[in-house]
Amino acid sequence: MKLLKLLLLPYMAAVIAGAFLWVEPAEGFLGESSRIVFFHVPCAWTAALAFLVAAGYSLAYLLSRNARFDSVAHAAVRLGLLFAALTLVTGSLFARIMWGSFWNWDPRESSYLLLLFLYGAYLFLRAAVDDPERRARIAAAYALFSAVLMPFLVFVVPRVTRSLHPQTVINPQGKILMDTPTKTVFFAGLLGFTALFLWLLELEARGARVRQPTN
Amino acid sequence: MTPTRLGFWSRAWAVCAKDAAQEGKRRIALGSILFFAATALALVSYAVGPFGLPADARASLDAALLWIILFFSAATGLPRALVREEETGTGLALRAVAPGAVVIAGKAAFNFLLFLAIAALSVPTFAVLLEWRIESSAALVAVVLLGGVGLSIVSTFLSALVARAGQRNVLFLVVSFPLLAPLLLPAIAATVAASQGSFAAAPLRVLVAYDGAATCAAYLLAGAAWED
Repeated sequence: MKLLKLLLLPYMAAVIAGAFLWVEPAEGFLGESSRIVFFHVPCAWTAALAFLVAAGYSLAYLLSRNARFDSVAHAAVRLGLLFAALTLVTGSLFARIMWGSFWNWDPRESSYLLLLFLYGAYLFLRAAVDDPERRARIAAAYALFSAVLMPFLVFVVPRVTRSLHPQTVINPQGKILMDTPTKTVFFAGLLGFTALFLWLLELEARGARVRQPTN
Repeated sequence: MTPTRLGFWSRAWAVCAKDAAQEGKRRIALGSILFFAATALALVSYAVGPFGLPADARASLDAALLWIILFFSAATGLPRALVREEETGTGLALRAVAPGAVVIAGKAAFNFLLFLAIAALSVPTFAVLLEWRIESSAALVAVVLLGGVGLSIVSTFLSALVARAGQRNVLFLVVSFPLLAPLLLPAIAATVAASQGSFAAAPLRVLVAYDGAATCAAYLLAGAAWED
């Protein structure tokens, strides 16, 4: 993890430099707005990944009843909420430039807002249960139940309704419609944000372990 | 025959029949939900009716209002199924005679019947009060049934989660709305299509898939949600 932390700083700096200095703005977008793809999509991906990681650790908790798995799941949800909020902020900036308003009730915008509510509710649910063992069990059941229904919110419903959102990376043609520099920086960004999440998760989980005796 | 010798569906049906018998005596859940639905309908009719919006603008608005009424009417009564067991102290006995999956299946079946009662009152009243024309009744029935299945299963599972939490009534709304949004959005889209006379295949497929996924997840996680 120490090596990951040391590598992350120059790596992310290189991704940011590549996003602004190497890649040309995409056609069909106003000004430099297309560059948001290097930050917005990785944030959305990392949020979804964080919630899946939370589901994985929740399952591990239900199978083993090891409190450590519960604290990692809790940390993953908190980080997922952070990245989902960043997805909304970066998406709103893009929407202001392209569509003239920060919020347009587009199905994709709304789906990430609902995702924030969905996992915000996880935190409320935890706060409403006093007994630590029951809290962990109920939170794990909710995280797993949410993980099963989350794909409907993020992937299914926006695809059966009309949307202003530009074509996603996972498109109906099954092709990534990007030139080589864009593709390189984009996937480097995805990797960087994933590594950033893993590092933050490790930090959060370690913090939770330190705090645990006083809980 | 002891309850444990009965099969899964027999025991689930026994839980459903127990709730139906209790409800038959007291009629609190059904009465309060139907009263809430009637109040909401009157309010919506009073608020929207005078504007006289054109028919094409009304299709989406009417469908959204109908599902909002159904969702909030259901939210006032459906979570009671398991919360009441905790409040009256019968939850422990229920845990002793039936595993979580059986309890949730039985309660979900009762909630589905309750939802059908709400829909049977709300949909025709809504159509009369708002002069809402339904071109394809069969499509509307399909949407209401599929929506009702998902709403009942998810509500029952979530009520098992919040049954022993603090502030459970508010908490139920907080946890249920985001999880039910992927059901409500295609249900509204399919209702718009039904009112215009078409059978919207894509939203109905989403509803079927959602109901299937929610049923499997609720079955597998029922023990964790309801066990002591």
